Amino acid sequence: MFENAEISLGDLPTVDSVEWQLMDAKFLRRKLIDSAIGFFFALVAVGVLHRILGNVSAGQDLSFGWLWMVPLLLTVPLFAWPLVSVPKKGYAIRERDIIYKSGVFWRTVTAIPFNRIQHVEKSSTPLDRRFQLASLQIFTAGGSGGDLKIHGLSAKKTEKLRFFILEKIGSSIEQE
Amino acid sequence: MSKNERKRWLHTSPLAAIFYLGRIFETIAKNAVQTFAPLAAFLIASEGNLATRIGIGLAAFFTITIISSIVRYWFFRYRISDDAILIREGVFKKTQLDIKFDRIQAINTQQNVIYRYFDLVTVKFDTAGSSKQEGSLPAIKSEFADSLKERIRQEKPSAVNDDQEEELETNHSPILTLDTGDMVRIGLSSNRAFIFLVLLGPLAEQLESRVGETIDSAVIAAGLESGRFSLVGGVGLTLAAVVSVFLLLMIASIVGAFLRYHQFRLVTDEDVLRSTGGLLTRHEHSVNLAKIQTLEARQNMMLRFFDRYRMRVKQATSGKQGRNKQFVIPLCTPGQLPEIDREVFRDEFLDVEMRPKSDVFKPISVRYVRSRMLFAGILPTLIATGLFSAIAGPVAVLCLLWLPICALIVWTLYKKRGYFVSTEGLVLRRGFIGYRTNAFLYRKVQCINVTQTLLQERKGLATMRFYMASGTLKLPYVDYQLAKQLRDYVLYKVESSRLAWH
Repeated sequence: MFENAEISLGDLPTVDSVEWQLMDAKFLRRKLIDSAIGFFFALVAVGVLHRILGNVSAGQDLSFGWLWMVPLLLTVPLFAWPLVSVPKKGYAIRERDIIYKSGVFWRTVTAIPFNRIQHVEKSSTPLDRRFQLASLQIFTAGGSGGDLKIHGLSAKKTEKLRFFILEKIGSSIEQE
Repeated sequence: MSKNERKRWLHTSPLAAIFYLGRIFETIAKNAVQTFAPLAAFLIASEGNLATRIGIGLAAFFTITIISSIVRYWFFRYRISDDAILIREGVFKKTQLDIKFDRIQAINTQQNVIYRYFDLVTVKFDTAGSSKQEGSLPAIKSEFADSLKERIRQEKPSAVNDDQEEELETNHSPILTLDTGDMVRIGLSSNRAFIFLVLLGPLAEQLESRVGETIDSAVIAAGLESGRFSLVGGVGLTLAAVVSVFLLLMIASIVGAFLRYHQFRLVTDEDVLRSTGGLLTRHEHSVNLAKIQTLEARQNMMLRFFDRYRMRVKQATSGKQGRNKQFVIPLCTPGQLPEIDREVFRDEFLDVEMRPKSDVFKPISVRYVRSRMLFAGILPTLIATGLFSAIAGPVAVLCLLWLPICALIVWTLYKKRGYFVSTEGLVLRRGFIGYRTNAFLYRKVQCINVTQTLLQERKGLATMRFYMASGTLKLPYVDYQLAKQLRDYVLYKVESSRLAWH
């Protein structure tokens, strides 16, 4: 039977009231290792540059010791950033959509209804696998901006989520 | 369409070779260097006089292209199954293409002069997938094309039940027709004419100087000879040359409008929006109303002058914006605009308003101006002034001139931003010199996000992004509470809708 019940805007479920799930605890350590790798490469790059500049300016009274200040200055943002950014990330699964929040300076809350998801993709790098982590990418027809990548879930949870979403996609009946 | 035709693989008309010939020439035009390199090598390497060599070269070139197009025609087969068009083509690289009827976003037909004589058309199918997934049936009988279009049209979303189907009115009388005056307006308002001018700028400058030199020397020589040398005459000639080029471009643009849109007609046929037009090659473009994602009305400087709009009906694209997937209504009056809106959205979005000057549009927050001025005006100006003052001294103060220019640009952008929230859809307005309004139904949104910068958070503002299958639309600097409510409402609309979005 056809029904057309009145909907009050105030009764609509709000994204604000969701309980956010935070990223896996190991994700912070994983990000700090990323920072350490970045720091190591910065040190190597500065070392090489220092050597090259030293050779080029041999015989001249020039010092390039100040170059080592660059990795030193990078230390704070590199290692502090994950400590700030990771706790800001979170996701929530509702009956009909998935919501993801992220960002420190630009705080974004993205919502994708299950009946708009085209496909999902699970991926993991060797470092992710070392920490039993994985990424879940959710694709919509809204182009690259309309896709969502959730990085920092445990591999088990990612797989569970992938199955859940696939089930939801299958059951979201659209009369085409 | 007979059962027999559905079962067997069919050839198109041998005149399809013309279609392939066109495609080959198109490819040649795109890869001119690679294509003509062997020809140039042949001309240089072979012996004999130049005219003979060019003759042999051209003969070889045309023979190869004609044979290629015939071979491509011969290897092209198609079959119409119950729910798809199956295409098998390719000589060395075999391609198999299966286009499901329900995936077809739009059907376009073209009929050039030769095809018109033989009552043939080329049918092109646009799908929501990549461009590789788009097929053409060249040179098929127009009667067969019509029956095929009818067959595809019947694959409409079953959400429209039989009762509703009966209620849908068949409206074959045109919503819009364009006359000769409109062709001139289209030509004059075409961006291409201005782009040509910009591109030709450096070339024209060189040309002008050379022509100028030649003319100058001729004028000087004639002047000296006759003793009637006139500088005014030289300037006049240069001006005349520039005006002639400009007029020529305008005429070319108007001719282009006639070629593409002559006898343009826009009709709705049940749930299909269809346009026909074209002088030599007749173009027919049709799009299923259910597959439309956004409707856009534009008004550039010239269109504002003529008090007309150009509209684009946007369908699903595969990530990148496919211009060729847009259904263009080249010109309409402010009175026809609401009529087209109603035809596109039907009873789903009754109060849609796309005329940019309408009172329904609400402005965004004025803090948009402060933010843009800070990041595009004040900060870059301070940095540039600081840097230049070290090099150029007090002259660096000239950098401050950017501030009033930037303020003017930002203020114009702010004034043109606007939005209209309705119960079923949203209309967004923006622009700089002209206007651009986009309307869409909430239920067609793919993904939605709300972003707040630290500054926006302090002032209770947010920026919303609506990801549609036809592209992204942004609503910046609106009240945060409104953004949250709108997001929840859009999600409710998407999640409770039982209608297909494409």
